[in-house]
Amino acid sequence: MRQFVVIGLGRFGSSIARALSEKDFDVLAIDKDEAQVKAMEGIVSQAVVLDATDEKSLRELGVQDFDTAIVSMGDTVEDSIMITLTLKELGVRQVIVKARGDLHSKILKKVGADRITIPEREMADRLAQSLASPKIFDFIEVSETYGIVEMVVPKRFANKTLSELKLREKYKVSVVAIKRKIPYSKPDGSTDFKEEFIVGPGGDDEVISGDVFILLGRNEDIDKIRKL
Amino acid sequence: MNDDYSDLIELGGFYILSQRYEEAIRILRRAEKIQKTDPKLYYNLGIAYEALNEKSDARDAFRLVLKLSPDNKSAQEHLDRLIEE
Repeated sequence: MRQFVVIGLGRFGSSIARALSEKDFDVLAIDKDEAQVKAMEGIVSQAVVLDATDEKSLRELGVQDFDTAIVSMGDTVEDSIMITLTLKELGVRQVIVKARGDLHSKILKKVGADRITIPEREMADRLAQSLASPKIFDFIEVSETYGIVEMVVPKRFANKTLSELKLREKYKVSVVAIKRKIPYSKPDGSTDFKEEFIVGPGGDDEVISGDVFILLGRNEDIDKIRKL
Repeated sequence: MNDDYSDLIELGGFYILSQRYEEAIRILRRAEKIQKTDPKLYYNLGIAYEALNEKSDARDAFRLVLKLSPDNKSAQEHLDRLIEE
């Protein structure tokens, strides 16, 4: 099982430590603030009070044996740079660091960070994307030109089968799955629905209003469907 | 409540269960013209809009349910989910 060490248990660090633990990963959480560490006890596999700028303590704790380290130091830019450098020198395979801005990010790259995240910016980009395309729920970049997108089915596709729509022929995209809401009646007479996935749908599958397609294709082709 | 109203509510529910959400909305909006204080009407309207991914209208409908029936847990759950998405 993959093991993660999370250094810095502020809002971002504690959230990621919690989320990884919920996914049943082995998580070691570190912070020099005792209260922050105490708050993670019982949630992660191990929570330790430690000054992560101290290389000796990090080595003694065995962080070099972890697959991935996530550095989320809110207070000082210097600390996150020092810790990143130390972790790479200790041989941690993947070091992911939360940066505060472009300059910080540039320095982190120089000292060997494998991945840099600026959560506020990423969140803002995501929100802007969802506001710009409200019918697109999610987008995964597969390569520079290809992507997987979760998109509300255009109304004109409703009540047609996938063979009738000829999406591969006309738009050069593949329907990987269809997310559909299945309604049911509740004992009080009102209705509700549960979501169901039709993975690898066939040509005979009919599209229903409100379905969500998970499409794979070139970004420009996906865009053509989005504009319908 | 008169018969027409009950019939429309029932028909709206039937359309939802048949996954004909646009028709359900049309019928439930007709019912609304008769009676505007029934949380069940707005709840089913919220479900139909949410099923169509018309999130803004779905949120409005669930908010109306909660205004008329503040303890409606299902409406609160749907609204919370729509706001968090």
